[in-house]
Amino acid sequence: MNRLHIRKPFALLLLPGIIFLLLFFIAPLLFVLVESFKGAVGEITLFRYKEVLTDSQFRLVFVRTLRMALIVTPIAVLVGYPSAYLMTKLTTAKKSILMSLVILPLMTSPVARTYAWIVILGKYGIVNQTLTSIGFLKEPARLMYTEGAIIVGLLQLFLPIMILTLVSAMENVQEEIEEAALSLGSSRVGCFFRVIVPLSFDGLLMGVALVFTGSITAYVTPAILGGAKVLTLSTLMRQEALVLMNWEAATVIAVIMILTTLILYNGLRLFKPRTLV
Amino acid sequence: MKKSKLLILITVVMFVFLLGPFLVIIISSFSNNAVMRFPPEGFSLKWYDKVLNIEMFRSTFWMSLKTGLAATLTALVLGVPVAYANVRYRYRGKNILELVFSSPAIVPGLVIGFSLLRFFIYVTKIPVLTGLYLGHTAILFPYTVRVVSASLRNFDKGIEEAAVSLGSSPVHAFFAVVLPNIQSGLVAAFILAFITSFNNVPVSLFLTGPGVATLPIQMLVYMEYYFDPTISALSSILIVFTVIIIQSTEKLLGISKYM
Amino acid sequence: MSFIELSNINAGYTKGNPVLKDFHLSVEKGELVSLLGPSGCGKTTTLRTIAGFIMAEKGKVVVGGKDYTYLPPNKRNIGLVFQNYALFPHLSVYENVAYGLKRRKVAKELIQEKIADVLKLVSLTGFEERLPAQLSGGQRQRVALARSIVIEPDLLLLDEPLSNLDAKLRDEMRAELSRLQHQLGITMIYVTHDQIEALSLSSRIIVMNEGNIEQIGTPEDIYEQPETPFVARFIGFDNHLFGKVVGKSEEGLLVDVNGTTLVSNRSPGSFNLVKNGDPVELYFRPEDIELMVGKDNNSIEAEIDYANYQGNTTQYALHVGDNKIRAVLPGKPFTADVKSIRISISPDKLIVEKKD
Repeated sequence: MNRLHIRKPFALLLLPGIIFLLLFFIAPLLFVLVESFKGAVGEITLFRYKEVLTDSQFRLVFVRTLRMALIVTPIAVLVGYPSAYLMTKLTTAKKSILMSLVILPLMTSPVARTYAWIVILGKYGIVNQTLTSIGFLKEPARLMYTEGAIIVGLLQLFLPIMILTLVSAMENVQEEIEEAALSLGSSRVGCFFRVIVPLSFDGLLMGVALVFTGSITAYVTPAILGGAKVLTLSTLMRQEALVLMNWEAATVIAVIMILTTLILYNGLRLFKPRTLV
Repeated sequence: MKKSKLLILITVVMFVFLLGPFLVIIISSFSNNAVMRFPPEGFSLKWYDKVLNIEMFRSTFWMSLKTGLAATLTALVLGVPVAYANVRYRYRGKNILELVFSSPAIVPGLVIGFSLLRFFIYVTKIPVLTGLYLGHTAILFPYTVRVVSASLRNFDKGIEEAAVSLGSSPVHAFFAVVLPNIQSGLVAAFILAFITSFNNVPVSLFLTGPGVATLPIQMLVYMEYYFDPTISALSSILIVFTVIIIQSTEKLLGISKYM
Repeated sequence: MSFIELSNINAGYTKGNPVLKDFHLSVEKGELVSLLGPSGCGKTTTLRTIAGFIMAEKGKVVVGGKDYTYLPPNKRNIGLVFQNYALFPHLSVYENVAYGLKRRKVAKELIQEKIADVLKLVSLTGFEERLPAQLSGGQRQRVALARSIVIEPDLLLLDEPLSNLDAKLRDEMRAELSRLQHQLGITMIYVTHDQIEALSLSSRIIVMNEGNIEQIGTPEDIYEQPETPFVARFIGFDNHLFGKVVGKSEEGLLVDVNGTTLVSNRSPGSFNLVKNGDPVELYFRPEDIELMVGKDNNSIEAEIDYANYQGNTTQYALHVGDNKIRAVLPGKPFTADVKSIRISISPDKLIVEKKD
């Protein structure tokens, strides 16, 4: 047998995957990246970026997108942590049932999942019908096509992701460690903050990274619940590309979206204090 | 161990928030009204009848099914060897390669679809349908690698070595000993990848064109023009299917641990 | 009233199906009591009930005159050492040991002082900044000990603390535990399934089986005078033969085994409970057997299956009729060129139990 074969059999295993990604994933991304710097006659220019970044609508949308992610993420943590903690305390059978309920929103068609909020928040939806029938509102309020509607829709998508990440992080914390803390005089709440949170902190960061970047790049939720009235980065990009046929602007927004997610995603995961105590 | 009432309360409220909307859709799909209203008036199955009779839903359903199956199988064929190499071998640059392999799941789908459109359709003139299939394969690839890696990691390397010591070639040992034992991981990877493809909007958004649309894209288009409970009925069907898939797979495979 | 008093306890993991039923236990101040028994015997349940992780469905837990029955574990001032140590992996040795003191709002200077003292006590001075992952098994065990004694608990509970250590370390730690107990005089309850640990450490041993106490006694009592067949078997009376009572004499109880009469004069046994013709079981230790070729007092014919030389002792596998017998004798294997020999057990080493 040839020496190469013995030493690097993994190369053959990796090669098809690498080639595929190079051709059909990395090359197109690089193409778009290069294109975003190309001027009308092929010169390299930052002109397109300048144009997009100085556009007041883009700025508004960019800030709005970040703002919504900044609202969704802490809520997901505040609600997700207690729920996930409770789930790790359940028997395997009960936990399995709850876990399958948690992943239902993740596995369901996003269009179907988001459509439900139209039925709930629409002009004649549940909320408006209830509030007008008890006399709280005189006429239906506009709940759809608002930032609030998008935030609610994003939460339904990202709470499960936060919970799954936290459950798998907390599952590794041995029951005995908690008992040790209690036997040394910690209250349950104290034990949660001094022991459980620090020990699941990596999971928390992972969850925050996923939820935050996910909120920034989500498409279906803002498309249905925000429409053209409340644009986010992704719906703006689609509008530029497919409605206004402004491919240059769409390209720049695409690059900005990648950079924003990559920086946030990796930045959050690198942030790691040794201890919180 | 005692569970505090506050914890239970938060969890219950959370589940009502997560799952209540699904109930709302299903109830509204039986409405007799032509305009979405809640609570619905009367009871009828006419929206279900309508869903089944709209040609565009039927054809896009098949398109989603075919794209999903083809992309999932391709992603598995590409992903299983990568997972195997990453679990069994150490090599230089592994961290970087692992990052590359997982990046299609990190880069926003919308951007992937957009770049494939720009690159292929405009530069190399690849047909839209092929672009759709390639784009889906790319985003499913990280899922198959991750799920198969997880189940390979749980499989004792010693068993495989035993097969080789008994005379199997490494390739034969892989097919005869490893694959049968990571079956549940493969099934979980298949189901997760297929559902991801079937539900995908952002990648498909740019890779659809005349005669090429997936079911979720068609639903979005329909919603722009009509505001009747047809989408409720279709959504209810999709929800019920999802529940059935989760129910069977969570029990058999514990699919939530792979997500 | 004793220092620790458990009375009429029903406790377990599922409601309505308690592991402990109507359970009583009392421990005096300064004692080291072992709960000895196989897994599932209720020893850990007892420990967790005292620690407060299991709330008794019925009965009362009193420690130092205070009713602990419904007190949550963090209010109990009980030290707990776990089988897997349960150190906080994100905290240094110092912070692990400081944990309980901080919860008790001890002043910072005093914490430093106490930690220096306790780390010296367990010979870990200089390891303050290490994380648990950077310690060996024995060192982790010491941190776990230090962490639970630094809070000056009323009571220290140890749940199989040595079972994750290798044999040599286990011996060392056993000696160290014994030293600490004498030095500090803390009341300790020690859960183990290892008879040697229990015998060498305890002032009293409580042998448990299926949620009940089989016997309470000093290590000597338990080892020499097991009161039930269960205790006998658990404490090393590994061999047993079936027989029938054929009479009583001055020498003791006469039992017929396969046509040979053996004498047992070991008290208490079942001496007064049996009458002629009752079926009985005889128990004896592998170490209490002698092998001989000729006929001797209190001996029975046996066949050697094989002998296994182990250095200072030799282990024999034999059988008497259909019963397998294990014997451990000092020195080299028996060299007589015979398959058929006799095993002899002195009458005071032979326990007779009535067979139900």
